[in-house]
Amino acid sequence: MKRGLGRKAWNRLGRTLAAAALLVGLTVFAPAHEAQAQAPRDRLVLGLPLEPPNLDPTSGAAAAVDEVVYANVFEGLTRLTQNGAVAPSLAETWEAAPDGLTWTFHLRRGVTFSDGAPFDASVAKFSLDRITAEGSTNAQKALFAPIQSVEVVDPATLRIRLSRPMATLPYVLAWGDAVMVSPRSAATNAVTPVGTGPFKLQGWQRGSQLTLVRRDGYWGTPPRLNTVVFRFISDPTAAFAAVSAGDVDAFPNYPAPENVAQFQRDPRFRVVVGASEGKVILGINNTKVPFNDVRVRRALSYAIDRDALIQGAMFGFGQPIGSHYSRQAPGYVDLTGLYPHDPARARRLLAEAGYPNGIDVTLRLPPRPYARRSGEVLISQLAQAGIRAKIENLEWAQWLDQVFKRRQFDLTIVEHVEPMDYDIYGRKDYYFGYDNPAFDALLAQVNAAPDEPTRNRLLGDLQRRIADDAVNGFLFQSSRIGVWKADVNGLWINGPIAANDVTGAGWTGAGAAASASAERASGGLPWGWISLIAGVALLAFVAWRFGAAWLLKKLGGHALTLLAATAVIFLLLQVVPGDPASYMMGLNASPESIAALRQQMGLEGSGLERYFVWLGDLLTGKFGTSYTYQVPVGGLIAERLAVSAPLALMATVLSLIVALPIGVTAASRRGTAVDTGLIGVTQVGVALPNFWIAMLLILLFSVNLGWFSAGGFPGWSQGFWPAFKALILPAVALAAPQAAILARVLRTALLDTMNEDYVRTARAKGLSVNQALWRHALRNAWIPVLTILGLQFPFLLAGGIIIENVFSLPGLGRLVFQAITQRDLIVVQSVVVVLVFAVVLVSFLIDLAYLFADPRLRGRRA
Amino acid sequence: MTDAPAVPAAKPRVRWPLSLIVGATLTAVVLATALLALVWTPYDVESVDIAAKLTAPSAAHWMGTDHFGRDVLSMIMAGAQNSLIVAFVAVGIGVGIGTPLGLTAAARGGWVDELVMRGNDLIFAFPALLLAVMITAVMGPGAINAVIAIGVFNIPVFTRVARGAAQGLWTREYVLAARTAGKSRALISIQHILPNLMSLLVVQAAIQFAVGIVAEAGLSYVGLGAQPPAPSWGRMLAEAQTMIGFAPWLAIMPGLAIFVTVLGLSLTGDGLRDLFDPRVRRER
Repeated sequence: MKRGLGRKAWNRLGRTLAAAALLVGLTVFAPAHEAQAQAPRDRLVLGLPLEPPNLDPTSGAAAAVDEVVYANVFEGLTRLTQNGAVAPSLAETWEAAPDGLTWTFHLRRGVTFSDGAPFDASVAKFSLDRITAEGSTNAQKALFAPIQSVEVVDPATLRIRLSRPMATLPYVLAWGDAVMVSPRSAATNAVTPVGTGPFKLQGWQRGSQLTLVRRDGYWGTPPRLNTVVFRFISDPTAAFAAVSAGDVDAFPNYPAPENVAQFQRDPRFRVVVGASEGKVILGINNTKVPFNDVRVRRALSYAIDRDALIQGAMFGFGQPIGSHYSRQAPGYVDLTGLYPHDPARARRLLAEAGYPNGIDVTLRLPPRPYARRSGEVLISQLAQAGIRAKIENLEWAQWLDQVFKRRQFDLTIVEHVEPMDYDIYGRKDYYFGYDNPAFDALLAQVNAAPDEPTRNRLLGDLQRRIADDAVNGFLFQSSRIGVWKADVNGLWINGPIAANDVTGAGWTGAGAAASASAERASGGLPWGWISLIAGVALLAFVAWRFGAAWLLKKLGGHALTLLAATAVIFLLLQVVPGDPASYMMGLNASPESIAALRQQMGLEGSGLERYFVWLGDLLTGKFGTSYTYQVPVGGLIAERLAVSAPLALMATVLSLIVALPIGVTAASRRGTAVDTGLIGVTQVGVALPNFWIAMLLILLFSVNLGWFSAGGFPGWSQGFWPAFKALILPAVALAAPQAAILARVLRTALLDTMNEDYVRTARAKGLSVNQALWRHALRNAWIPVLTILGLQFPFLLAGGIIIENVFSLPGLGRLVFQAITQRDLIVVQSVVVVLVFAVVLVSFLIDLAYLFADPRLRGRRA
Repeated sequence: MTDAPAVPAAKPRVRWPLSLIVGATLTAVVLATALLALVWTPYDVESVDIAAKLTAPSAAHWMGTDHFGRDVLSMIMAGAQNSLIVAFVAVGIGVGIGTPLGLTAAARGGWVDELVMRGNDLIFAFPALLLAVMITAVMGPGAINAVIAIGVFNIPVFTRVARGAAQGLWTREYVLAARTAGKSRALISIQHILPNLMSLLVVQAAIQFAVGIVAEAGLSYVGLGAQPPAPSWGRMLAEAQTMIGFAPWLAIMPGLAIFVTVLGLSLTGDGLRDLFDPRVRRER
């Protein structure tokens, strides 16, 4: 660098770098004073594999709803303990008349809902009538069908009359589907649940976490915990990372059995393995040839090697079952020896049935790890018996629609989590299509059983009947693996129903509850208005500077692109298979309940009608209402942008910081070994898939070094630094390939401008290569660099799909991905439109940047 | 290229760019592996051997085994076919549809050009992976749908390349001569324009091939690519995630395979560009 000559260029570069440094500095240091307070001992963070679609346990069957609200927010007349026993809850005692048809429940007095509404027998009547009413969206409506009438005897006494004896009434009343709801709040429980339990909802960041807080005025023993945070982490790796990093205090239903050994060795954690009600079965379509032949079904059963399956797919966590019945349920009989693993015998049976050369079948699998892994082990077992199975992986919504609803399958693997659900074998419309009058007669006998021993004996016969007919292949009962911090106690070990009762949970040695940490309100500047004003000002300036005609033409073109994009997206998603309503209602839902829900969700109108309604919603910024979360989509997107936008920004800044020196150095040392080396580095960078970088970063910084938590997002409300820290690794992974591309573009652009006449003239005047580079080339090379940066930004915004999945970040990409699997089409449509809008906006801004940066283009406006 | 300045006349022979040599070698190795896997892999790819699960790389299993006891090397070899075929066919879709569109747009100009380029902008306006995810969500996961989803994004790329370069060629003297000779626009596009675009298209094809490999891995990673038991690099990575703490080879090996393939292809693309474009070559 010759003295003096490059000063201006240096100044310009200096200013740029200073601005970048300032930006980074601001984001890093500004909120440093918000040091995180020590975690109070009355707060517990639980990891859950599935996020509930809403919070109303009486509508829809998503087990994830009960996982959050059962016993914590909502209570029933009776409840289940963690060992599966029925215990009093809002009913203190109950008795049945000798005929078994009339039941009297004596209710607890002085109980109120969390909004202050009183609970009494009339409320109980309202809650129970609501289940069986016409148009009810209760997923277990069939279970309560024997209820003929509910009478209020006095405020503390309730009488239930049945149409047929049902010894299990107190048991089914303990289900989450039968919790007590107040007439005042029943309609809004999906979003703002109001129950009689000791906790109430404090906040819900969709896709990330939900917070319950202890309420005043609870009738029973107040819980030890003040705040319970449920953090939703579906990815097994992210779950592993979140537990190892201490981001969650307990993961009661830990999704990755392969990590258990590691946790058992680690003194910081306690691994508790309990029983669940989950029965994993090989579902067989009994209505379809050749599976309507019991010999073929038995051949399938003989082909299964349960022990190898449990070892291979579940790492040993699971217990074999021989019928559709859980091992701890009353009247259980061990039938696992009925069909020992015997491929030769399976082949003989197939030959007897007329298939000496074996059969070809498809195995359609839902997207949970237990099913996918079991499937892969199972096909190699089936192959030994001459059953050539082809795997088809379905999304949950597709599985519900095609396998469960339309019965389009040969074989499937699915876990039935409802306890004592043998009645599904009596339902002719059920997906596996079992139809045997002998079984139906047995079922009626069980329901009418006069006493416990008789009932248990009949239940044994029932299990034998199902196993003998080999209705399905019975694989294993899944274990409930809980990984807790060593000083957490009082959580459920077993899972008699899908629930996480935290009312008895707490910390060992935690003394008086520390004062609750005040949640910071997320107010701040009115960004919407600021950007609107800035946008209008920019447009006005452009119109004045370059002419309104140019501006209108550009804007018109972009508006057309946007409109076309909305149409394309809408059309594309109209063909998506799967029904959002049946997704939300789950496995046991009746067709009427699903139809009622469809009506509620506004899915009944014509396509064109819905398109225009949605378009209108887009213009008003409301974006419609999410099917699954039942809140305005606009709010969901804003929440997610709070993660995706900073992440994209960080990645952009990071890639610029890395690319700038590489590109400039390579260009100025063109043709030297340095140049070649740097190009090589960028080649490597471009060739590295960002999700692989992400995994390697996790391996190094989370698993080995433990510096960063590898998954999850604490939320900006937890303070700036924890949230920022959670974005660092994802930003690095996103930025690496972008930086490589950017550096290459910058180098090429610099070299191109070096060939321009004015640069050559400058060279001819005696400037050195470096001087020409800094004074002229860099300035002009900004345009292509800006273009690439601009094009990359929306990509980064969405390109997180995979990265956000790797790190379990609640960003836009993940929102779309979840919405697609949940068939929440309106969310998908809206997010894609927002991203398309971002692309269009950026390309408009680039057009403007060209105009400002390149004086030659400006001449064209005339 | 007409403005290429006087090059020292003493260098008439072709200098093979280093990137092309390295890239072509890597690509050839990957291709050979994929072809070999058609007839032979060290172990049967689909056979599950629970007793041998999660063994670290050893003499018996060079890249270790996975949680079902399957040989990782065999799976990677077999997975190469899937990745290469998906990316290759996707490039074919892009070239096959994009190039004619670009040529037509350049030849006709006016509203045809406008229409084609607007359509292009429309596709470009969708973040690529997002639309691919949507397409596979609509049509169901699987290798064929992954091909289509990736192929759709290759179309505007080739349209742009073809149109941009063809527009320049339409002003050339020999094209004007052909015009005055009464040849149709279509004929000129095929006889005179296309041959001159070939080098550009080949370079772009190599680059899109590399992009396609990454895209396929990404789709498979989120479960929308090739379905099991067909081995796929992306899915192997996804499955490796939970075991990264105690079986890191499961995450490292498939990633390396993707990396080597992409590196080979993009180096080949770069090298071809250097070879075809004297301007860039002069820069070296």
